[in-house]
Amino acid sequence: MGKVKIKKKETRIDMTAMSDVTVLLLTFFMLTSTFLQKEPVTVNTPPSVSEEKVPDQNLVSVLVSPEGKVYMAVTGSKDSTYKSETVRADVLKNMASAYNEKHPNNPVKFTAKQVEEFSKVGTFGVPMNQLAKWLDMDIENRDKALEQGGIPINMNEDPNNPNEFQMWIRAAYNSLNPELQETMVRGKGIAIKADQTTPYSVVNVVMDNLQTIKMNKFTLMTALKTEEE
Amino acid sequence: MAKTKSHQKKFDTRIDFTPMVDMNMLLITFFMLCTTMIKSQTLQIALPSNEKVDTEEQNKVKQSEAVTIIIDGKLDENGLSKPDEGMLFYYDGMPPTGEEILTNNPMKQVEFGNKTGGALPAIREILRERNKDVVAKIELLKKDWKDMKFSNKEEVNDSIYQAKAKEIRNDSTLKRPVIIIKATPNASYAHVVSVLDEMQINNISRYQIDRIGAVDSAMMILVQGQKK
Repeated sequence: MGKVKIKKKETRIDMTAMSDVTVLLLTFFMLTSTFLQKEPVTVNTPPSVSEEKVPDQNLVSVLVSPEGKVYMAVTGSKDSTYKSETVRADVLKNMASAYNEKHPNNPVKFTAKQVEEFSKVGTFGVPMNQLAKWLDMDIENRDKALEQGGIPINMNEDPNNPNEFQMWIRAAYNSLNPELQETMVRGKGIAIKADQTTPYSVVNVVMDNLQTIKMNKFTLMTALKTEEE
Repeated sequence: MAKTKSHQKKFDTRIDFTPMVDMNMLLITFFMLCTTMIKSQTLQIALPSNEKVDTEEQNKVKQSEAVTIIIDGKLDENGLSKPDEGMLFYYDGMPPTGEEILTNNPMKQVEFGNKTGGALPAIREILRERNKDVVAKIELLKKDWKDMKFSNKEEVNDSIYQAKAKEIRNDSTLKRPVIIIKATPNASYAHVVSVLDEMQINNISRYQIDRIGAVDSAMMILVQGQKK
């Protein structure tokens, strides 16, 4: 009787190919990823058929919470000398001088360290007289302060007596970055981001404020709508 | 000479890649969850400047061309607007004055679909009808664009189409409506955006966002009263 030879099968699977694939995928995700920007309030932007993308440089984005709190974020240029950090520091400088002109009795002052901190933060939004204190906080406390903060804004139709929000926009406009100024004039430099459920009266305050300081061209951030037709 | 038997073990040259794969998978998952692949879109709008527009300038808008759309909504207990409850009011021409509001109210009411930002078939129909000259021309142009008549290259074809479409939209020889969009404080932002969307869909180049006036509110109350 012949012995039946059973081939001993190797139970280990060669993982090399699998490894190749995963590394490839990993590289892809690492290169294409842009991290979610941390924002004090999560908003769900309304759907729209517009296909224009949000620019990723030279942008002042205005985040409006459903309760009417306003936050801002300034982005500079990606590849020129006007990097976000430089622009932000300059915006703060402009803002401080504008604020001190309006409130000569209790001026604000920022140390070099505070200016540096400010140039690193994405979204900001506390009243000007609390900003220095806010910049000294650690990240966790900052987030908490942001939730209660918001840039002071009111219905204001006098361009000669701007509120803090209008002063920030002007400070951004007058910053040393000519590219940002140019996009703001063209109407692509300011983006308003608000939730779908926000009542129009809340968004209207922001729009009206911009209108007053003659920044009457801007964009609204929307999500892509899948058209059912 | 006796051959010294080498007892050297034969090493398996293959390395076990399983831990490596495990780690990679973990990293992939991390990156997949943390990335935003979809970038937000933007909708560009231009508001009129706040300087006092004299009424004569406004009246220049021909009565036959003006359509006023008013967006209304409801607030829930948290002060947020309900995305699925909205009302649209619209009327042609200039608002009536004085007593005329009672006798000859031109305002009509349309309900929003029950879906947020869903199609607004009623208002779309109306806008298309008002803008039919432009829409017809654009349709013709679209056909040419689909057949790649402008250029063989897709990009060139697209840009020529865009330029021509813009020309048609701004062609003052065609009959084009002027849409005035107004929203009550309770209207939801989503509805305002979807009405702005309709302007794009229907190729309307002349529209503006305006503040709601006393006459408009009065007419809205009247229209709603009639329905009940």
